[in-house]
Amino acid sequence: MQFHLILAIGVFFITYLLIMSEKLNRTAVAMVGAFLMVMLNIEGQERALHYIDFNTIGLLIGMMIIVNVMKKSGIFQYVAIKAAKIAKGDPWKIILYFCVITALASALLDNVTTVLLIVPVTLVITDTLELNPIPFLVPEILIANIGGTATLIGDPPNIMIGSATGLGFMDFLIALGPVVVIIFIVTMVIFKYGYRMHYVATDANKRKILKLDEKKAIKDPILMKKSILILLCTVLGFVLHQYLGYESATIALFFASILLLISKCDVEDIFIEIEWATIFFFISLFILVGALEEVGVMEYLASKLLEVTEGNMMFTMIVILWVSAIASSVLDNIPFVATMIPLIKNFGAMSGLDVTPLWWALALGACLGGNGTLVGASANVIVSGLIARHGQKLSFGYYLKIGFPLMLVSIVISTVYLVVFII
Amino acid sequence: MRKLMNAELMEHDIKLRQMGADVYVINSKMCFVVFLVGSTEIAYVYNVNKKGRYFLERIKPYPLALREFEREEDVIEIIEIDLEQFKNASNSHNIETFIEINQNFNLSLRKFEDLFLYFNVPKETAEAIKSKLGEIDQIIETAKTSSDRIYFKKNPDNL
Repeated sequence: MQFHLILAIGVFFITYLLIMSEKLNRTAVAMVGAFLMVMLNIEGQERALHYIDFNTIGLLIGMMIIVNVMKKSGIFQYVAIKAAKIAKGDPWKIILYFCVITALASALLDNVTTVLLIVPVTLVITDTLELNPIPFLVPEILIANIGGTATLIGDPPNIMIGSATGLGFMDFLIALGPVVVIIFIVTMVIFKYGYRMHYVATDANKRKILKLDEKKAIKDPILMKKSILILLCTVLGFVLHQYLGYESATIALFFASILLLISKCDVEDIFIEIEWATIFFFISLFILVGALEEVGVMEYLASKLLEVTEGNMMFTMIVILWVSAIASSVLDNIPFVATMIPLIKNFGAMSGLDVTPLWWALALGACLGGNGTLVGASANVIVSGLIARHGQKLSFGYYLKIGFPLMLVSIVISTVYLVVFII
Repeated sequence: MRKLMNAELMEHDIKLRQMGADVYVINSKMCFVVFLVGSTEIAYVYNVNKKGRYFLERIKPYPLALREFEREEDVIEIIEIDLEQFKNASNSHNIETFIEINQNFNLSLRKFEDLFLYFNVPKETAEAIKSKLGEIDQIIETAKTSSDRIYFKKNPDNL
C-alpha cells in the first residue's frame, strides 16, 4: 500500500508538472499519466472506468454537437451584425451589446466556443470601423469567462462540480447568477470609463456598419429555426432536469441527437468538429484523480484541510475561493477542479458540514480566476491566437495589466457576496 | 489549431457574404506532392473531398492552371504523365531555357492582367500585343512541324 501511495503521488505530480509546463500536449501527457496508473495496478481497470464522470463527458459532447450544427446556420453572425446596426455603429454601444451577447452565449455554451463565435464578427466590425480590435476583444475574453460562471453548463469546472455533487442547472443559476450580473456590470463600467478613448469611430465608418446586411449572414434559414428550437428545448430541459430526474448529459445528448436527425447536416462532419482532445483530457484527469482517491491521498488532504480550518466554514470558503482564483489565473483550472472535487467531498464527509458554499467558492474561484492572465483560461489563449493570425499581438503584459486587477475586483465582489448571501 | 482555422474561416465567410457571395465550406484534404527531377523541383497540389471531386494544380517549376477531376486515378495519371514529360524534357539541353520562357509567359500574363485592370489601354496598344502574341503562336506552330516528336503516350492537349 505504501509503495502504491508513493507511486500514485509520483505519477500524479509528474503528470501535473508536465501539463503545467505546456511543453508537451496536455491530453497526451494526461493520457500517459492515467494509463500508467492503471498499468502500475494503482487503480484497477474496472475502478478506473468507475472514476470517469460520464455525465461531464456526455454533457460536453452533447453541447459540442448542438453548437457545431447551430453555427452552420449563421445565427451567431446574424445576431452580432444586427446588434452592431442597432448600436448605429457606435463603438462603445457595439462592445456593450457584444459583451451582453457573449455573456448570454457563454452561460449556455462553453467559453472557448463563445469566443470562437463572437471574435470573427468583432474582427469584421473593427475592420469596418478601422479600429484596433484588442480593446474590443479583451472585454469579450473577460465577459466570456464571467458569463460562463453563472450556469452549470457555462464552464467545464461547473459541469464537473455539478456532476460530482448533483447540484443542478437552477441551483447554479440561483446561487451564482446574481453575483455574475454584478461582476458583469462592474466590469463594463470600468471599461466604459477606463478605456473610452479606444471606442471612437468616424461618422463615415459608422455609416459603413449600417450598410451591413445581417440577412446575408444567414446561411440556412430552416436550419436556423430548427437550431433555435432545439437550443430552447435544451435550456428548458436543463431548467427542469432535476425535477424530471434526468442527468444534464442525458438532456444534452438527447436534444443533440434530435438536432443531428432533423438538421440533415453531415453527421461525420459534425463529429469531426467535436474536440476529442478535450474529451480525452477530461477522461484521463478523472482516472488520474481517481487513483489518488484509491490510495487515500484525498482523504489525507481533506483531514489536513479540516485541521487547518478547524471546520470554520467561512474561513474554508474564503481560502478555497482565493486559492482557486490565484491558481486558475496561472494554471489550467480543469485539473485543479478535478483534484479539488474529491478533496471537498472528503472534507464534507469528515466534518459532517454542508459543503455547498464550498462548491460555489470553487466555481467562482476557478472560473473567474481564469481572467487573471493570458494563460489563465483556454478562451484567453484562443483569442490571443486569433489576434496573432489577424496580424496583431496581445502581449502577456498588456493583458495582465487589465485582466489581473479586474480578476481581483471580481473575486473581492465574490467574497462579499458569498459571506453576505451564501453562508 | 483547428479552432483558430475555423474562426478565421468564419471571418472570411462573413466578409464574403457581405460582398454578395455564397460560400460553401467543404471538409477536404490538401495534398502537397514534390518530385525532384535532376535539380528541378516539380510540385503539385491537389485537394480531395468526400464528394469525389479532385482539384489539381501544378505549382512548380511554373504553374499549370487548376483542373477538376472526377476520379483519383485521373489525378495520379495526370501527375504521372506530367512527371514523365518533365523527365524527358530534363534530358534536353533546352530545359533551363524552356522553364525560363514558361516563367516569363506567366509573368507577362500577370502584367497584362494588371495593365487591363488598372489602366485604360488604347486600342492600338491592345492590337499590338495581340499581333505579337500571334507571332509567338506562329513560331510555336512552325516549331511543332519542324521538330521531332519525343513523347507518344498521349497527344498534346493544346497543340
